Amino acid sequence: MQHCTPEQLALAALREPLPDADTAHLAACERCRAEVASLQRAVDALAVPQLAAPGAPVPPPPAVWEAIAAATGVTATPRPEVLAGAAPTPSLTTVPPVAEPPATRDGASVLAFRSRRRPLLLVAAATVAGAVIGAGAVAVLGDDGSGTPRAVPVAAVDLDPLADSDASGRASVIERPDGSRVLEVDLRAGDLDDRYYEVWLIDEAVQDMVPVGVARSGTVDFELPDGLDLGRFPIVDVSVEPLDGNPTHSGVSVARGVLDT
Amino acid sequence: MGSVAVVDPVPTQRVVAELDDAEVGRRFAAGDPQGLAWAYERWAGQVHGMAVRAFGPGPDAEDITQQTFMSAWTGRGGFDPDRGPLPAWLVGVCRHKIADTWAKRARQQRETEAAMSEARATPSGPVTAGVDTAVADRVLLLDELDLLGQPQRGIIELAFFEDLTHTQIAVRTGLPLGTVKSHIRRTLERLRTRLEVDGAALHA
Repeated sequence: MQHCTPEQLALAALREPLPDADTAHLAACERCRAEVASLQRAVDALAVPQLAAPGAPVPPPPAVWEAIAAATGVTATPRPEVLAGAAPTPSLTTVPPVAEPPATRDGASVLAFRSRRRPLLLVAAATVAGAVIGAGAVAVLGDDGSGTPRAVPVAAVDLDPLADSDASGRASVIERPDGSRVLEVDLRAGDLDDRYYEVWLIDEAVQDMVPVGVARSGTVDFELPDGLDLGRFPIVDVSVEPLDGNPTHSGVSVARGVLDT
Repeated sequence: MGSVAVVDPVPTQRVVAELDDAEVGRRFAAGDPQGLAWAYERWAGQVHGMAVRAFGPGPDAEDITQQTFMSAWTGRGGFDPDRGPLPAWLVGVCRHKIADTWAKRARQQRETEAAMSEARATPSGPVTAGVDTAVADRVLLLDELDLLGQPQRGIIELAFFEDLTHTQIAVRTGLPLGTVKSHIRRTLERLRTRLEVDGAALHA
């Protein structure tokens, strides 16, 4: 049997997808897998979101410059309006705007980063979710016959548990008469300590995603941004997020379904 | 003290608008205090954004940002404006500060646990067995990255920190695909060797 080339094994250590023949070989060859694992220790240590290239800038409060100036004895100062702009209650820009799909923005590497670095759960889950495409989806359009427009569900899907989770539920997209849309998530899942559930809309490549909001067991309604293309982000995903201040997907998904829009 | 240490604020604004990043980098490297102020003006937000991502908003992140600029300034001899832009170098310094802080905390936690287990006089259980080796690995590996030449360093940083695939790296750098792949391979081997040599000793 032909082993993978050293270069391919290095790419595998970076979790890049390999050609089919290499993937198949790797699955069967303990020696090649061991080589990947030994190269991966460095990848796992360094390729973490906290060390990733800067995303959204956050202005530090003025005291930071004052301390630097005091310690270095530097009397030159940044322009006052730059420091002032950094002043009170900095609006935290670490959370990517919901309405903008990450792939279109420069600072989006944070989301893409996690989604590729932690592909195992996500990709495995996509396969599971793929099986239910269409199965649970309904599309009810129109009014109630009285001529009065009302909020109507335009799509719905069962959220199936992933891996060993016991979370499940149902997601419905409801369109109001004014054209605005709500994602209603009815989640059945255990309570969490120090963590929380978050709902995402993800594209079929499981690469780009839009954070929809914080969920809990029970029914929660989420306002969907106008113009958000559900055809582009059809996967409804529920993840478990640690309270670590990191706005990106943790990679731990517990339930998922695919909207047929 | 450089001749431009004290600059009237109004002309400064005009000058800053015209200065390109490379000039700010050269002034910084030359030890011109105004270079530090300009660097802070331009890149403190990026650095602080990283710190906030790692530690959340608050004193910890502010401390990282402060340390980054202070040690960048005192260690400016290590910055060569001809080898890369100043913001990239500052981001590298910030990575070291983040990794150092993680390592310091892990050490403190280990000591606390050891002290507690001693205080309870429990038969010496392997309290330290669960220590996150990645924390120690990071400090070593970031040091090793600093030793890499170009284009190896740029390539591996694009893979690690910008999450680019080797194809994207080839496009970004203009280097042939085969070159990118073989650099990635050799760099990962080098990092593995560093961990085998020093990582093991560290945990012994």
